[in-house]
Amino acid sequence: MNDHSITEAFVLVFKTNINNLRQVKSIAPTLDNCPDILKWNVDLADIDKVLRIEATHGQCGRVIELVTRAGYACEELTD
Amino acid sequence: MRIRDANKEALIREKAIELIVNHGFDGLSMHKLAKAAGVSVATIYIYFKDREDLIQQVYTDESRKMTEATLLNFDPDAHFDEGLKRQWINRMTYCLKNPYSMTFMEQVKHSPLVDRSTVDTRFLQAMQRFVHNAIDRKEIMPLPVEIYWSIAFAPLYQLVKFHIAGKSMPGRPPFVFDEEKINLTLGLVLKALKP
Repeated sequence: MNDHSITEAFVLVFKTNINNLRQVKSIAPTLDNCPDILKWNVDLADIDKVLRIEATHGQCGRVIELVTRAGYACEELTD
Repeated sequence: MRIRDANKEALIREKAIELIVNHGFDGLSMHKLAKAAGVSVATIYIYFKDREDLIQQVYTDESRKMTEATLLNFDPDAHFDEGLKRQWINRMTYCLKNPYSMTFMEQVKHSPLVDRSTVDTRFLQAMQRFVHNAIDRKEIMPLPVEIYWSIAFAPLYQLVKFHIAGKSMPGRPPFVFDEEKINLTLGLVLKALKP
């Protein structure tokens, strides 16, 4: 369905400690207002509370900096 | 940058179905799935937003495949007897080739996790036309759709299940749904639906 948008973007995934909906909401303005981020979501059902980002670039460091500055732990989920 | 890989994606979908069939929806986590498919958790997130998205996408894809298999060489304007036989053969072939998929589709029917309204309408349209033609031509009697379906298809699915399980009632030899038994059952079903 959304194949197109995914192939156009870089998908970045991070392990975080964003644990609940309230915390997701608290980080929403930061991520929504970042022009490099096209789409994002946090999988609260997952043990690693995975933050998934579709971005215009593949630089994890920039996302980690944003999320950390907002007060959450964030590290790249590596292969 | 992570690159999409169609083979990897297909393997992830296949393993997701197996996990759900063997362990239920609660038995599926991205971590378990990664292990089963031999990929990293990060890889799964390239293709799927979250668990819910994964289940929904797998369902949409399986339902498309099932529709294509069911409508193969099927003419909705055919005589009812002939059309139903084609349906039985197509559905049976599909179930025998994809036993996991068949069970998965049944689990989904009873799950609130999946939005079934996204399904491709070709299947529904073809089947509706087929039945309405048959009623208009007085080849079958008009019935509420649930009753029609239960008579026309439930016997097929039950016997396919016996066949796949290789057993039926205690003490009975393994059940093989061969052509003779298909024709016997189909004959009874057609008789039941006649006006």
